[in-house]
Amino acid sequence: MDTFLQACINGLMIGGFYSLMGMGQNVIFGVMKIINFCHGEMLMVGMYLAYVFYTYLGIDPYVALPLVALVMFIAGAIFQHTLITPSLGTKSFTNLLFLTVGMGILLTNGAQVLFSSDYRTITTSYSSIILSLGPITVALPRVVSFCVLIAVSIALAFFLKYTRTGKKIRAVSQNPIGAQVVGIDTKKIYMITYGLGAALAGVSGALLTLFYVINPTAGSNFGFRALIVVVVGGLGSISGAFFAGIFLGLLETLVSLFIGPSLRTLVVFATFIVILVIRQNIILRRA
Amino acid sequence: MKKKILYILIIALAVFMLILPEYIASMPYILNVFILAFYMTTMSMAWNLLGGMTGQNSIGHACFMGIGAYTATLCIVKFGLNPWVSLPIAIFVTAFITAVVFSQCFILRGPYFTLVTIAFAEAVRQIILNWDFAGKAIGLGLPYVRGNNWLLFSFKDRAIYYYIAFAMMIAVYAVMKYIDNSKLGFALKTIREDEDVAAAIGIKPLKYKVIAVVISASVSAVAGFFYACYYRYIDPNIMLQSSSVEIVLPAIIGGSAFVEGPLVGGILMVSLSEYLRNTFGGILPGINLILYAIVLIVVIRFRPTGILGFFDRRGRA
Repeated sequence: MDTFLQACINGLMIGGFYSLMGMGQNVIFGVMKIINFCHGEMLMVGMYLAYVFYTYLGIDPYVALPLVALVMFIAGAIFQHTLITPSLGTKSFTNLLFLTVGMGILLTNGAQVLFSSDYRTITTSYSSIILSLGPITVALPRVVSFCVLIAVSIALAFFLKYTRTGKKIRAVSQNPIGAQVVGIDTKKIYMITYGLGAALAGVSGALLTLFYVINPTAGSNFGFRALIVVVVGGLGSISGAFFAGIFLGLLETLVSLFIGPSLRTLVVFATFIVILVIRQNIILRRA
Repeated sequence: MKKKILYILIIALAVFMLILPEYIASMPYILNVFILAFYMTTMSMAWNLLGGMTGQNSIGHACFMGIGAYTATLCIVKFGLNPWVSLPIAIFVTAFITAVVFSQCFILRGPYFTLVTIAFAEAVRQIILNWDFAGKAIGLGLPYVRGNNWLLFSFKDRAIYYYIAFAMMIAVYAVMKYIDNSKLGFALKTIREDEDVAAAIGIKPLKYKVIAVVISASVSAVAGFFYACYYRYIDPNIMLQSSSVEIVLPAIIGGSAFVEGPLVGGILMVSLSEYLRNTFGGILPGINLILYAIVLIVVIRFRPTGILGFFDRRGRA
């Protein structure tokens, strides 16, 4: 029972990251209808940004969060504006897909050239504090990170629901031409959206640094899981992405507890394929 | 007139490729680069049938190749079969698995299909990683044979591998060119442009997509067999997502709308990237992939139809 509870807590914590990554991917996918294949790599960049801020400037990762978010937002917006927007016009899904793939390769190998492929960690004064609740133990940074994740998720949901920009984003995602007709500058919204997605990935990365090794391929695990979260949670649904992320985290830890850690990825991916196919069949039958 | 010059150029290039091993036999590394380039180009052409011609972007082709390589190796090592018998078995097994899995998955369109190919490839890799019989993460080695042995498909002389790889690439190109101009090719291209229109004029999208994936996977299996026999060792890492991506890049850079696209992109990029890896690999690891990515981004940004798009005005975006 104790191990079960412990696994649940661990799954919840890792699921929070999948959720936040999925939300960023969801906003991008929803608005531009493209898979952002460098999402995991953007998380890795966020990790390195937090690492640089901490090691060279002495800024605590949690304090550096807004900085990381800002840098990622600007970088994402520039990438979107200079490379993705011109290609959006050609309507070629293949090219857009491999544009982001190329960006991912560039980021991974760029990080490898800059920082080498060594594993790096951030150790703060509080990173070894362990909280225990009865038989369950959790490291303090994990709890703090999880709380920040929840706060960011709620803030994002409110931003999309109630602010003017958020409403514009949702309008473009529902109908880009209609949005243009009522006077929304879609290109600007694309920039904001992509920047937002990049910032969310960066924040997830910065939050991860305190208890995860930093290396150029650290993001690849999270990138594809973010896509799973988007697809399972439903397009354009922030709450769907949130619960799908938590569900994925729980599924992974529980599978590794009951079936075996080596079969974790297999079960998750096979489940994903089955869910996709069954859902598409249901959609087709209804139509 | 222009066409004549082009033909002469191509024939000259082919002759040059054929006599090349005579001159670089003393430099096994360069020979290896060429063999790798031919192999990657073959894989890229296989991808292009499904991705470029049919419009189903797969990022799981390394897995098709891996299934082929693993089936062949298992047949040779564990069942003691001759490589020439294992090859058809590998092709059949790969084609069968992909046909069964993808006939279910082809109802998914666009990005969703891409996601399924990624998940499928990773799932297969995980199965191999957990399968004792297939050597788990350690991989499988093929026995070394003394001298050149055609019966056991093992050669001491690298130049023979060079010729085999070259022949494989040319043969696959011929098949692709034939398909491109055949009824099948037109059906596939119609599906790429608009699935619903294709269905309306009597082309069954599912049937043709399955045909495309079966041919594509069979060619990948042949390439996988060659890979296993050439390196004499395989491990589950040949099926990583990054390998699948590397297979696609030559086609995109060369021009995925053209049959020649992967050929141009593959020969150019793989030789360049291998050269860079050899020269700068010690100081700056990953520099070859950075160059790859930059070329890819620049090509997509300025010439969405790939390098060949420069020469073709009808080029499709």
